[in-house]
Formats: sequence, C-alpha cells, structure tokens
Amino acid sequence: MGLDVGVGGQVLDLETAVKDGILGGGGGIGVGGGSAEKLDLKKMIEELEAVEVPSVFICPISLDPMRDPVTLCTGQTYERSNILKWFSMGHYTCPTTMQELWDDSVTPNATLQQLIHTWFATKYSAMKKRSQDVQGRAIEVLEILKKAKGQSRIEALKELRQLAAAHSTARKSLVDNGGVGSLSSLLGPFTTHAVGSEVIAILVSLDLDYSGKTNLTQPAKISLMVDMLNEGSIETRINCTRLIEMLMEGKDFVSENVSSLSLLVGLLKLVKNERHPNGVIAGLRLLKAICSHESLRASIVSIGAVSQLVELLPGFKADCIELALHILEVLSTVPEGRLALKECAKTIPNMVKLLMKVSESCTQLALAILWAVCKLAPEECGALAVEAGLAAKLLLVIQSCYNPVLKQRSAELLKLCSSNYTATNFISKCKLTTTIQ
Amino acid sequence: MGSLCSKQRHFDKPENEENGQAAEIERRIEQETKAEKHIQKLLLLGTGDSGKSTIFKQIKLLFQSGFGEAELKSYTSIVHANVYQTIKILHDGSKELAQNEAESSKYIISSANKDVGERLSEIGGRLNYPQLTKELAEEIGSLWNDPAIQETYSRGNELQVPDCAHYFMENLQRLSDANYLPTKEDVLYARVRTTGVVEIQFSPVGENKKSGEVYRLFDVGGQRNERRKWIHLFEGVTAVIFCAAISEYDQTLFEDEHKNRMMDTKELFEWVLKQPCFEKTSFMLFLNKFDLFEKKVANVPLNVCEWFKDYQPVSSGKQEVEHAYEFVKKKFEELYFQSTSPDRVDRVFKIYRTTALDQKLVKKTFKLVDETLRRRNLFEAGLL
Repeated sequence: MGLDVGVGGQVLDLETAVKDGILGGGGGIGVGGGSAEKLDLKKMIEELEAVEVPSVFICPISLDPMRDPVTLCTGQTYERSNILKWFSMGHYTCPTTMQELWDDSVTPNATLQQLIHTWFATKYSAMKKRSQDVQGRAIEVLEILKKAKGQSRIEALKELRQLAAAHSTARKSLVDNGGVGSLSSLLGPFTTHAVGSEVIAILVSLDLDYSGKTNLTQPAKISLMVDMLNEGSIETRINCTRLIEMLMEGKDFVSENVSSLSLLVGLLKLVKNERHPNGVIAGLRLLKAICSHESLRASIVSIGAVSQLVELLPGFKADCIELALHILEVLSTVPEGRLALKECAKTIPNMVKLLMKVSESCTQLALAILWAVCKLAPEECGALAVEAGLAAKLLLVIQSCYNPVLKQRSAELLKLCSSNYTATNFISKCKLTTTIQ
Repeated sequence: MGSLCSKQRHFDKPENEENGQAAEIERRIEQETKAEKHIQKLLLLGTGDSGKSTIFKQIKLLFQSGFGEAELKSYTSIVHANVYQTIKILHDGSKELAQNEAESSKYIISSANKDVGERLSEIGGRLNYPQLTKELAEEIGSLWNDPAIQETYSRGNELQVPDCAHYFMENLQRLSDANYLPTKEDVLYARVRTTGVVEIQFSPVGENKKSGEVYRLFDVGGQRNERRKWIHLFEGVTAVIFCAAISEYDQTLFEDEHKNRMMDTKELFEWVLKQPCFEKTSFMLFLNKFDLFEKKVANVPLNVCEWFKDYQPVSSGKQEVEHAYEFVKKKFEELYFQSTSPDRVDRVFKIYRTTALDQKLVKKTFKLVDETLRRRNLFEAGLL
C-alpha cells in the first residue's frame, strides 16, 4: 500500500526509485526526468505497448496503464474515467474488494501518476536510444557489407537480417541509405545459395520502391530467385515467392520475367507440400498473379497444374480453395486449360462438391469452371455432372442465392446438362428429396 | 573350390588360413565399397566440340596439381597438329568456295601463296606431322594473312574450322620456337578428339580448406557412336554435367555436314534426359562458349537454327546478347520439362552460363555446382 520507501528506510526521489528498478520495472537507462513531463503520456503508452508494465500501474477495471489514477476510500486505485463509469452504472462498491463505499469521494493519486509518467518516460527514451542504435548499426553493417567477402559477408548479412526482422526503424534506415541497391548488387549468376538466401530474406521485409523493384527484375537475378525457390529451405522458398510477387506489382512488369518453367514447377511443388501451409498459400498467390498474364497461361497448363490443383482441392482450407479456384477459372479461359480440366477425372465431382459449400465467390468460380467444361463436351460432361449430383446443387443455388448473375448461370448450366434427358429421367437422376419433387 | 579340395587332405590349418584370407579380402572389399559410396561421380556429356574436355582440363588445373612439365611437353605435338589441320581446312575450304561461290574471286589465294598452300595442304593430310619449324610457321603465317584465307575464315561455320584456329594462328611465332613448351592456355585450346573414357578424382578446396567432398569426373567422347550401349554403365552417378556449345547454332557436324550442330545437341540432350539410368540424377547444364556466342549473335541471327526460328530481336548491343542468351536458355528449359516425366520432376536441374576457357569462371561455376550437390546430399539425408 502506498509507495515503498527504499532499503534502510531512506526516502528516495522519484527518478532514483525508477532508475534503480525498485518497482520491478527493470533498470531504467537514461534520464527521463524533467523533459518527460512534456512528453505525452498517451503517446508513450501507445508506443510501449509491447513492454511489460508493473502491475501497480494497471487499472483493475480496464487492465490498461492509468493516466489519471484516483483512489477510493477503500484505498484501491482506479483510472478516473473507468471508476466514474462504474459509479454511473449505479454501483457504489469498490470493484476489487467488493466492499460498499462509505465515502463516494475519489482522491487523485498524484504520487502514483507522477511515478507512472516517469517510468514510461524512462522506458521511452531508452527505446528511442535503442532504436537509434539499431539504425546506426544497420548503416554500419551496410558499409561492412560493401567490402566483406566470403564468410564475413554471410555473417554481416545474417546480422542485417536480424536487425531488419526485429526493428522497423532498421528497415527504414536500410531503405533510406541505399540498402536495396547494395543488396541487389549481391545477386547475380555466381551468387552462392548461402548469400542469396540471406539477401532475399532481408529484401522481402523491406518497402521496395519503383527503382528498387526494377533493379531486381533483371533476368539473372530472377533466375537466381527461381533456383533458390527450387532448392532452398521452406523459409527461403516462401521468401523468394513473396519477393517475386512484390516485384510483379510494378507498373512496367513484363510477363516474360516470370515465364520460366522452373519457376512454375517450383511453385507447384510448394503448393503440393501440405506440411507447410504458409508455402501453399504463398505459392497459390503467386500462381494467381502469374495467371493474370494471358501469355503465360498455356505454360502453366503445360506443366500439369490443372490436374494437380483439382486434386488438391479437397484437402485445402477455405482461403486456399478460393485461390485455387480462381487460378483454375482463369486457366479455363484458354483452350489448353479447358481441355486439361475436361481430361481430369476429378474436375467435375470436386467442383460440384464445392458449390454452396465455402463461399459465394467460390460457388461462382466453381460454376464458371463447370460451365467451361460442360460447354466443351455437353453430352459427356453434362452426364458426369448430373451423376455427381450437380442438379440438386444448382437448384439450391437458384433457390437460395441472392446474386442474380449466379442464379442465371446456374439455370443455364442446368439447362445445358439436362438437355439430353427427358424430364422424368432427369428428375430421377437428380436424387432430389421427395418434398422438392 | 579350395575347401572342396582340402576336404580330402588336411582339415585344420590350411582351411583356417584360407578363411582368414577370404575374410580379409571381404573386409577390404567392404571398406572400399563404403569409400566408393562417398565419392560423388560426375559425368561429362555433350556432343563433339561442346567443351567437355576443356572443362575436364580446367578441373585438373584448378583442383589437382595441374599439368607437370612432362605432360605439358606431350601437348606440343597436339598443338602443332592443330596448326596443320587448321591451315589445311582453311586452304581446302577456300578452293571449294572459289569453285562454288558466285563471287569466286575473293576466295582465290594470291599467286605468291598458291604453292605454299598446296604444300601445306599436303602436309596437313598426312598421318604424321613434321616438327613446326620457323620456316613452316612463317609460311603458314603468310597464308593465314592472305585475304582469301581471311574471307574463308569468316565463313568458318560452314566448314569445320576449329574454335582454336584464331588463337593458334596468332601465336605461330611462339609455337614454332625451338624450345617451345606449351602454356596452360595452349593446353586448354588444344583440340584432340577424346576416345574412350578419361577420369580424374579430385576434391574442391573450399575457403576453410576443408571440403570433404571427393568427386570423380568422367569424360567420354562426344561423337555419335554407340552411346546407348554404354550409357547405362553410368547409372548411379551423382550428376550429369551436360555441355552445350551455344555458339554452334550456325554450324554443322563433323560427321555429317548436313546436320546442324545445335539440333544434334538438342536431340542428344533429349535422349539423355529420358534414359532410365538417370532417373534420379542431378542435371547441370553448361551453356558453353558464351564468349563466341556473344560475338556471333550480333552478326548471325539466331533463327538460322530451326530450333530458334521463333526468335525476335528486341534491341542491340549488350542488351541484345542478354536477350538472345535468355531465349536460348528458355528453349533448353522447355526441352528439359518436355522430356522429363512428372515423377522425375524432383531431380535437380540447373543451368549455368560458362566459357570453359576462362579459368576463373569455371572455378566460380564449379563452386556453385559443388554447393548445389552438397545441399542435395543434405536434403536427401533429411538434414535440410
């Protein structure tokens, strides 16, 4: 209760108390002191969100650090606005002790307030200094990198990677000091995997501007990324995938840059590797981005992507299903894709299963794919679709979907598939329940 | 067999001895088989003149003790032979062009050099070549400088002018010196058709001087002989290093002057990829002779080769060279995936740009190959 005086009964001043860590907040480095008053407590609390705050500073009601602590007659301290709200709801008890209050006055706890302020101010300036140190170190390492060779180069890159991963200030510092260019220059046809994987890991965490991206989009560098995508650890593979995706966002990106079959094959491998869901999603995202370039669609089909994606669908989670369906739908817009979809035995049953199962957009995509396949060979595929239970699903879509386009499509597809059956025949094939019949 | 005979006579001692020996031999075999397992075998494949043997020589220079004086000396006769062969090809070629071409006059050798030419052509056709004397060198030199021969040389792709022609012709003085000892570079340029199989064992020395990997490199001849009969002997090699000379897109085969060399390389690569014995083998494709490719691309469009007929140039100069190279690389990549069944897609496939004559480049390239193979080993051992 109250403020603990220091060892030996001395009355310590506020700064010393905090500095020596009496409150268990850890030794505060640096001054804090007078100028701290001017710093906005709210801002500091926000920026120090990750730090562990001493429990005596926390309001028992909101569990947030107190900015305006007030004490009740029971001796318990709360954030003013919170306890007043408690009172306004008609309670006249002390929330923690459950005692009925004999005195409704709230006394501002100036001591605690000052203590809180000083503690945060100290922490804040320590953090700022560390941040500056980090920035400084990042620039230092960048300089070292310019001359380092062999093992020391790898060590420098590893340190830079750690800095960039842990501190946004380091990342900004790297970008502002030409780090992107320096790192890019390390990537070339003779870059070893050890160096390349570190460089990519750093680059993927940075904010790349137009010139940075253009610099990285050279064939030799992309070639290297593709090689690492095929050979590296799962982390490296994902980094390469993400980086290429970032590069594709540039305005002037030419599809030829990602036309490498090795890249596409590597992405498919990632997508098939169910042990690493992060890789699956990253691979699907990049494949989707590549699909948007019409000239590359035939290549994607040529490596067997269609049947592999179709067969992976049942095992995917919702977000992956949507990406995969999107890719397949785009591929269905080219003749090779349509053919591959038709030739894959699982296409129709898997698409039918996905109707009305995951989300409206998935249903739309699955519908579009079914449409493409059935249009190609109405009799054959129509029959297969009906056997797979398409009709019931389509009726469900027509009945329960609000989207008029979707309803229209379903109706058209239903018509297409049923055209070979007589009415009674068809209805029996639909396996509908008697009520609907 | 032994125990059968000894059964009738002595039982104890000799039989024990034999068993002891047999056990020793078996132990030795087991030891060596174990040691063999750790040796990574690399097979150099490619069509004739693709640069396999040059790579082989480079590895020898880089990771073994290089060429000793005796070995260097042994190359003297080869270098001289190359000189005679080259000048003969050029001379005979100029006569052929003079006969068949519309503008025949530019291929007619000047009267001063005519007799020399005939004599040199005769020498070049012999089985055994004479020592390259200063006099002969001078004659060869003057013939080389004859405008008709130079014109012929510019059409070298249609004849079988070896790539080392220019290099040796420009060094005739040195080569004909009485105390001539071939340099490392001369050895690298020297051209001898590889017959049979040659192998070397080496260990690439890393920065820490402790690599641990032992490689055995095999070089087989490149010409179209009964490849299918012996290729399966190389089952189980760690990697195939396939050399393709990308500068040869406008040249024809030595064995068949109507066949384009690049098409031949394409067919061979396809064939090798489909061999069952290489199902799990890593493939390192060396797109070789980049230095010659660089120079040629500016003057000879890629689409003279049927495989590259859909090539469209986009710019000029260095950018165009890069663009052309990427195009060729992509063609090989496409070919790889077309020829690889889905269950083999897991094998390592990497493409390297090389100039086999450049030692530094070969060293850097091999460092990457080594890294890839080591990573592959770790991956297969489940450690990556």
